[in-house]
Amino acid sequence: MQTINSILAIFYREYKITFRNFNDIFTILVFFLLGILIFVFSIGPNKEIFNYISIGIIWTLLLLSTNLSINKFYKNDFKDGNIILFYMSGLSFEVIVLIKLITMWVFFQLPFVIIIPIASLILDIDTEKILLNLYVFLIGSPILTSLASISGSMNLLNNRNFAISSIIIMILSIPLIIFSVGIVSATPELIEPQLNILIGILFLFLAITPWASAACIKISLRNI
Amino acid sequence: MIKVFINPDKFEKFSNIIIKPLFLISFISLILGLIFSFYLSPDDYQQGSTVRIMYIHVPSAWLAMLTLFIMTIYSVIALVFKISFGFIVNSALAPIGATFTFICMFTGSLWGKPMWGTWWVWDARLTSVAILFLIYLIIIFLRKSFSDINFGEKITAIFIIISSINLPIIKFSVDWWNTLHQPASISKLSSPSIDPSMLRPLIIMLVSFMCIGLLIAIIRIKAEIIERKQKI
Repeated sequence: MQTINSILAIFYREYKITFRNFNDIFTILVFFLLGILIFVFSIGPNKEIFNYISIGIIWTLLLLSTNLSINKFYKNDFKDGNIILFYMSGLSFEVIVLIKLITMWVFFQLPFVIIIPIASLILDIDTEKILLNLYVFLIGSPILTSLASISGSMNLLNNRNFAISSIIIMILSIPLIIFSVGIVSATPELIEPQLNILIGILFLFLAITPWASAACIKISLRNI
Repeated sequence: MIKVFINPDKFEKFSNIIIKPLFLISFISLILGLIFSFYLSPDDYQQGSTVRIMYIHVPSAWLAMLTLFIMTIYSVIALVFKISFGFIVNSALAPIGATFTFICMFTGSLWGKPMWGTWWVWDARLTSVAILFLIYLIIIFLRKSFSDINFGEKITAIFIIISSINLPIIKFSVDWWNTLHQPASISKLSSPSIDPSMLRPLIIMLVSFMCIGLLIAIIRIKAEIIERKQKI
């Protein structure tokens, strides 16, 4: 019973902290929309080109806006010492990483469900493809969150080289980008097998992430 | 015997014994392999003389993957059993792997220009090898981006284990996707679909590349051990 209570307490704390800093989420959404506008300006208003590359633009910008939320994961808790309190709470770090994953996914990825249709309307995508893209986004965005968790926990003590945390996300997200863009632009009979592969990748990362992030946090706690 | 691979002192003693024969073997086999591949192997009936690029391309590609595999095993050993020799091996092997991957990509594009008509195609095998090259670069940089080097090594080991997912993707990319790059023709067990007259120089070049890689690795590991002894 006490375990459930402490899990719920951490959930409540995460919810409160993230909700008070709602500006961050809003900034990331504005970044996403602005990126799409930049793409439109740099390519020019040619509809035929957009038909080919619009899904790719959306997913690239999703990846880039995930990069912005890396430091929201563990860095602040690590700096003000909250992570030691988590350590003393009796919960293992794997559970805490899972809680962080869920809250971060709800707060930093789920708002894109509203933004993606607007962006798709700007880019002139078909309605069927918008729905399919949203469906793929719901499967693919937890992968982005877990990648951000991995690289955020790897770079807790990194005060020199900030670019490397984004590079880690980008290089590990290549299979996700390949399959998620592939599904939306595939022919109908090829959608389901690729969707299965994407779900497989999702489960793989859900299995790896708590272990890898917890190991990184423990190593960095010992080396402060 | 197994302590040779995990104990720095035993490794140094063993490497002092092995380094001269290894040098001799790599020297002889490299000269023999070059003679075989340039004069004693036939031209391909389609590709002509450019098929000789294969004798450098294929061994370096295998070694590029083998290096990451060895690094993965060593980082698991180092993290699980807390043996710091694994970190030494990781930091010594990463530039070697990057070099082999670069040689593989460079010779591949030299081979691709006359045969396929382009320097580079975004096909599955080529893309995954390019990702392998970037992974090596990240491994080199990630270690140096922490102020505490002991900490950076552990993080790098975790990254190596995660990024070793790429190895089976490279190996089976030609089977899973229908690509421009040809499927494996040597590692097919029982019946390799390559003529013995071409297989012979390839095997000799593979042996010489392995010996050269091992030689450089031993020298780099010894230098790394000496460097760490000075810091203590």
